[in-house]
Amino acid sequence: MKALDGKINQKQHSDRRKSFFRSLVLPNDVQAVPQLNQFIDEICDSVDLDPAQTMQMNLAIEEAVVNVMNYAYPADVHGDVNIDVQGNDEQLEFIISDSGIPFDPTAREKVDTTLPLEDRPIGGLGIFLVRELMDSIHYKRVDGKNVLTLCKKL
Amino acid sequence: MKTTIYEKDGSMVAVFEGRLDTAAAPQCEQDMKPLIDCAGRDIVLDCSALDYISSSGLRLFLGVLKSAKPKGVHVFITGMNADLRNVFAMTGLINLFEFKE
Repeated sequence: MKALDGKINQKQHSDRRKSFFRSLVLPNDVQAVPQLNQFIDEICDSVDLDPAQTMQMNLAIEEAVVNVMNYAYPADVHGDVNIDVQGNDEQLEFIISDSGIPFDPTAREKVDTTLPLEDRPIGGLGIFLVRELMDSIHYKRVDGKNVLTLCKKL
Repeated sequence: MKTTIYEKDGSMVAVFEGRLDTAAAPQCEQDMKPLIDCAGRDIVLDCSALDYISSSGLRLFLGVLKSAKPKGVHVFITGMNADLRNVFAMTGLINLFEFKE
């Protein structure tokens, strides 16, 4: 896996105009998040994002993926989360898919960030952050899979 | 990710080092328990060595604040870098916490 990663990166650097494709499969276990962070760091590095943008991309994708890990499969059922990344010098497109129960994170009610402390719910910030940080977010159910597409213009 | 709690000048200080992501949050929540249990002492969340925080970390910070407020305890955030502060601004949490340099 390591060697393959290196190869793709090299190719990317030699021909910046060309689009690239990267993919990662994780189990539905939040302990795999550091692996995801490393993957996102490599992608951001390959399109020359600065540390602030890289942090934001990590945050958005972590939130979207963790959401799947927590909700797509019943507790104690093993399942995979696929993260496919299609990139070029204009945008990064992340396609996050799973074979779990139908679940549309975009249908969640938007968090009111202006509420005072007493009325502020303790959760729900994850998807809010995805919406804030990405340029678009789309959900669809295709062939028994949840498919969430996130796009960031560069 | 490392969380250290100590007392200084009558305040409870929590020092966060590294990445507070979803994987690190459960252990961090355990480590932060003394902050939830304490009464009568202000709390300082030292974020000068915190590199990253995701919503599971924000939830922990909010939890500390929610338990502190009714007890009249102040919660201060110190040393937070601009990128993380931006996340606090985005989520409106910047208006709920007291920030100190």
